[in-house]
Amino acid sequence: MDLLYLVFVDPFVQMADLPDFFLQVLWEGFVAGILYALIALGFVLIFKASGVFNFAQGIMVVFAGLTLVGLHEMGIPAYLALVLSIGVMGLLALGVERFVMRPLVNQPDIILLMATIGLTFFLVGFGEFVFGGEPKQMITEELGLPTGSTSIDIGENGLLILQHIDIAAAVIAIIMVASLGIFFNKTRIGRALRAVADDHQAALSVGISLNQIWVIVWFAAGIVALATGIMWGARSDVSFALEVIALKALPVLILGGFTSIPGAIVGGLIIGIGEKVGEIYWGPLVGGGIESWLAYMIALIFLLFRPQGLFGERIIERV
Amino acid sequence: MDATGARAVSKPVTFPQYLLLNAKRFGGRPAMRFKDYGIWQTWTWSEQRDEIRDLALGLKAMGLTKGERVAIAGSNRPRLYWTFCAAQSLGAVPVPVYADAVADEMAYVLDNAGARFAVVQDQEQVDKIQAMAQTTPALTTIIYDEPRGLRDYDHRMLHEFGAVQQLGRSIAETDRDAVAAWEEAIMASDGSECSAILYTSGTTGRSKGVMLRASASVKAAEDTARFDHLDEHDEVLAYLPLAWVGDHYLNYAQGYVAGLCMSCPESPDTVSQNLREIGPTFYFAPPRVFEGLLTSVMIRMEDAGRIKKKLFHASLAVAKTYGEDILEGRPVSPSGRISYWICDKLVYGPLRNVLGFTRTRTAYTAGEAIGPDLFSFFRSLGINLKQLYGQTEAFLYVTCQKDGDVRPDTVGPAAPDVDIRIADSGEVQFRSPGMFMGYHDAPEKTKETLTPDGWVMTGDAGIFDTRGHLKIIDRAKDVGKLTTGALFAPKYIENKLKFFPNIKEVVAFGDGRDYSAVFLNIDLTAVGNWAERNNISYGSYQELASLPQVYEMMARHVEQVNRDLAAEPLMAGAQVSRFLVLHKELDADDGELTRTQKVRRSFVAERYQPLIDALYDGSTEKFIETEVTFEDGRKGIIRATVRIADAVTYPTATLHREAAE
Amino acid sequence: MNARIQPVQLHAADDGLKPGETMLMVDKVSLSFGGVKAITNVSFDIRKGEIRAIIGPNGAGKTSMLNVINGFYHPQEGTITFRGKARSRMQPHEAAQSGIARTFQNVALFKGMSTLDNIMSGRTLKMHANFFWQMLHVGPARREEIEHRMKVEEIIDFLEIQHIRKTPVGKLPYGLQKRVELGRALAMEPDLLLLDEPMAGMNVEEKEDMSRFILDVNSQMGTTIALIEHDMGVVMDISDRVVVLDYGRKIGDGTPDEVKANQDVIDAYLGVSR
Repeated sequence: MDLLYLVFVDPFVQMADLPDFFLQVLWEGFVAGILYALIALGFVLIFKASGVFNFAQGIMVVFAGLTLVGLHEMGIPAYLALVLSIGVMGLLALGVERFVMRPLVNQPDIILLMATIGLTFFLVGFGEFVFGGEPKQMITEELGLPTGSTSIDIGENGLLILQHIDIAAAVIAIIMVASLGIFFNKTRIGRALRAVADDHQAALSVGISLNQIWVIVWFAAGIVALATGIMWGARSDVSFALEVIALKALPVLILGGFTSIPGAIVGGLIIGIGEKVGEIYWGPLVGGGIESWLAYMIALIFLLFRPQGLFGERIIERV
Repeated sequence: MDATGARAVSKPVTFPQYLLLNAKRFGGRPAMRFKDYGIWQTWTWSEQRDEIRDLALGLKAMGLTKGERVAIAGSNRPRLYWTFCAAQSLGAVPVPVYADAVADEMAYVLDNAGARFAVVQDQEQVDKIQAMAQTTPALTTIIYDEPRGLRDYDHRMLHEFGAVQQLGRSIAETDRDAVAAWEEAIMASDGSECSAILYTSGTTGRSKGVMLRASASVKAAEDTARFDHLDEHDEVLAYLPLAWVGDHYLNYAQGYVAGLCMSCPESPDTVSQNLREIGPTFYFAPPRVFEGLLTSVMIRMEDAGRIKKKLFHASLAVAKTYGEDILEGRPVSPSGRISYWICDKLVYGPLRNVLGFTRTRTAYTAGEAIGPDLFSFFRSLGINLKQLYGQTEAFLYVTCQKDGDVRPDTVGPAAPDVDIRIADSGEVQFRSPGMFMGYHDAPEKTKETLTPDGWVMTGDAGIFDTRGHLKIIDRAKDVGKLTTGALFAPKYIENKLKFFPNIKEVVAFGDGRDYSAVFLNIDLTAVGNWAERNNISYGSYQELASLPQVYEMMARHVEQVNRDLAAEPLMAGAQVSRFLVLHKELDADDGELTRTQKVRRSFVAERYQPLIDALYDGSTEKFIETEVTFEDGRKGIIRATVRIADAVTYPTATLHREAAE
Repeated sequence: MNARIQPVQLHAADDGLKPGETMLMVDKVSLSFGGVKAITNVSFDIRKGEIRAIIGPNGAGKTSMLNVINGFYHPQEGTITFRGKARSRMQPHEAAQSGIARTFQNVALFKGMSTLDNIMSGRTLKMHANFFWQMLHVGPARREEIEHRMKVEEIIDFLEIQHIRKTPVGKLPYGLQKRVELGRALAMEPDLLLLDEPMAGMNVEEKEDMSRFILDVNSQMGTTIALIEHDMGVVMDISDRVVVLDYGRKIGDGTPDEVKANQDVIDAYLGVSR
């Protein structure tokens, strides 16, 4: 009886008791969720256009952040460093297309996955070699991102604190998703991207160049990674430790479907919020620390009921 | 530019005269729309006059003269409608032919009418005409609208529509006198000439060419346009076969007289989408189209979510209670009005929009009896659906219902200026302003159809109710008696059964027999959908039709009809005792239906004689072989063992109590 | 005032070739997959303006041949000469750019997109407007979009698929999907149209419709067509010349009548030479 009470009643009583604290937890979860969603978005872009599961997406986030900070440390002004970082991501996309995708085209998926794991190690090594391995401070202020916080009174003596950088993260994420949406639906290249995602052969036959598309998606994924790197770096540090967190994108993808942009966003938010709420209210029951595995649990349970994800296309393998 | 209508006229008596008048009074208003390349294109009345003038001058230059017949075949296209008027303006007679007629049927009409010119839509029609060229010696010229696929044809007989118009345009530009002469000739007509020959589809035998007089046609159209308050602000969608009297009357004749705008759909397959885009104010459809609409709405609702479904059915109940009363202007309680208003905003309005009825002020149905529930369904949604009864020989209208005085089981009182009487035989006879001049080249047939004192015999049996509304029971010759002496009106039974969405076609038997029995055709869409939802698999129509579950469903429907019949003293004796579900769909290609989709009763009876015998000899199943024609003209045989089932019938007495409940 | 639309005529590009001149030359081409020979030493030509059929029993190497012409496969031996230019390795999108369009045996459409978008995608190569204009959907991009839409509407009209303009192609029946796929290929206004079993899986009526479309494309747009079929019947009626493949080798080449009279061909189809 006691256990049932602790699991099914007590957490909700706590939520109702301190509504401001509950809101704070929700907000924290929301912000974390946005960052998960952005990482997942990078995965989805590449997976949609090429069917490649890009294991290196997490490290691309770190690498992008590191490049930005590293360039700034070399004495380059922040905004110029940002432009240069975008350029580096472009070069990376070109390189990946030329040296990874093109030689391996038509190889089994597992080979391409291995190639992206290789890419991960390359980026770690290259990043450490050029910029050094120690954690760095994100150049938040130099980029003109807000750093303060706002307090909102809730009820009689409740208080909700919103970090401005978190708000900025949310806004930038929304803008990013919206422009990707327009890009996909309104432009010729977007139409070509959708075409490639739908049917490779057919896309080739109408004169769409796969190589060009790959460069574009890898570049887009690189820009998403850079934005994620800045946001995440501003909340903690820019270090290779971030890479582990990138693995959270996996449950997000399972939840949202590998091919759906809205799925990545909704999945990210569910995981982010679920994780935080679970940790605070149910965590103490098992001695805490559930944040590290709860996301995978949610995804696993979900897999049982909807293997194609929330928004994913039904999986029909042609034999 | 405006030399038009130089001579003022008191009152037009031909359609070309109306063309000139409309170009003058409504010159800038739309006369014709056509969706082409995905865009609606519009011609104003004055543009339409110019198009027709160019065509007429071109045709004249090619040798078309007064009194000659011009065959017209194709789907609803502006150019074909212009051909009607252009021919009439030269005193020639347009003869529309059904676009889906097979080569043989088309050749018959062409030959019977003695057409020298044919204006057709495309390669398909050209092919049909040329395939039978040896049987139509009079034909010298074929004019086609769409050049596609015709490039490598022998062009001695073929001319492009655009080129004919171009020829006319160059004449109009260089020779002002030609234009003046054309208009003068139009104005000179007293309307006594034949303005069109419409071939009736004919439930029996070859079709007959009904000759219509210009002035009579105009008079009839003026009467009904006034009756339904049609004017230049109205819009119609011309989607019915243009060889059919309904299309020619409702769209062309009323269109010219009222000056309204006629829209032609992009293709026959896009009619429902185009209907929504145009939103016609005046709409006509045969009952089976309304049936199809209802079925599609119901099927879509079956697939909708639970809440939507509930909301839908609740509002239908509200509509059933108050809808017709509100439409008819009868007193309704305030709470009734409020709930109807809410449902109208939530359900009926959007539904009317989806069906394309948002702007529809008047809608008609005719051709066959419409199921009372079906009829009430559309009226209760706020659509002013009415019935008319018409004949090609009358140039359509014989009776029609007045706004605010509409009942599902009658076809209304006599149309304006129409006289109706019921002969001793029960047959309906009429005299009307649009009455035909006679059948083309068949005076003996004309004689058979007219009474000695000049009334037209309709061949339909009918009665007047107490308010003077006509009620059509059946074809006069089809009404018979069972051996028990009970009255047997097959149509009456068939229509009751056909109201069920699951039943597409019914043929009833019983005249001179011991009891009534029916053939059923299931509706493949509705029953197929039902089967899918219930996880019943089937491979073909034949397989679906023979499933025991389907037989059970049909048995329930027949039982329901028997219960209804038992409640009507006159009809109670003709309850359906046995039925079977046919192994194939009745099809016009096999001659089982007419081109207007009516059952050819005698033909069906002959073709399925073994099955009829089985209905009356007590057997429970019967093997049959049937020859069928595929769409490409090949023939094949289908074989099946058809099951015959008994139906529950009700004694008249016990039923009164049940019905009263 | 007069708002009538002048239909845009679709035409194969004027490439300086006269009808009857050789457009594509397949010269001693051999193709194998890891030791398995798919095509052995096959040569034939395709002339401007003709309908050229490649027929043969299942597994004769017909689709491989098409894939070679189209750039999906690269032959180990032999050359392909298209409009006087010999080429060794050509990517499929380069083939498309040079005026070769194709359809696929198993219908390769963009299933999630509407009929209109699918056919529009065939215009990809012809669109040039600046990326940013496109994002904003104004200016030159808008004009360009309208211009291309007109061409696409012409094709929709031609193929009589107005009623499914906005329907996602995944929901269409097979016969209509094939028609949409043909539409997408036509949207490229190709000089050479490759059709991979355009009538596979169709009923008699659909086959007749498709034959009519193929003939009309050929005669009205002047498009040269190479098509594959394994069912002899329809092909013999509509093609000018026929190549017959069997086990990757050419066993016959000529007019339909010549081919029909060829003993090797008869044997191949009856299975005698096995």
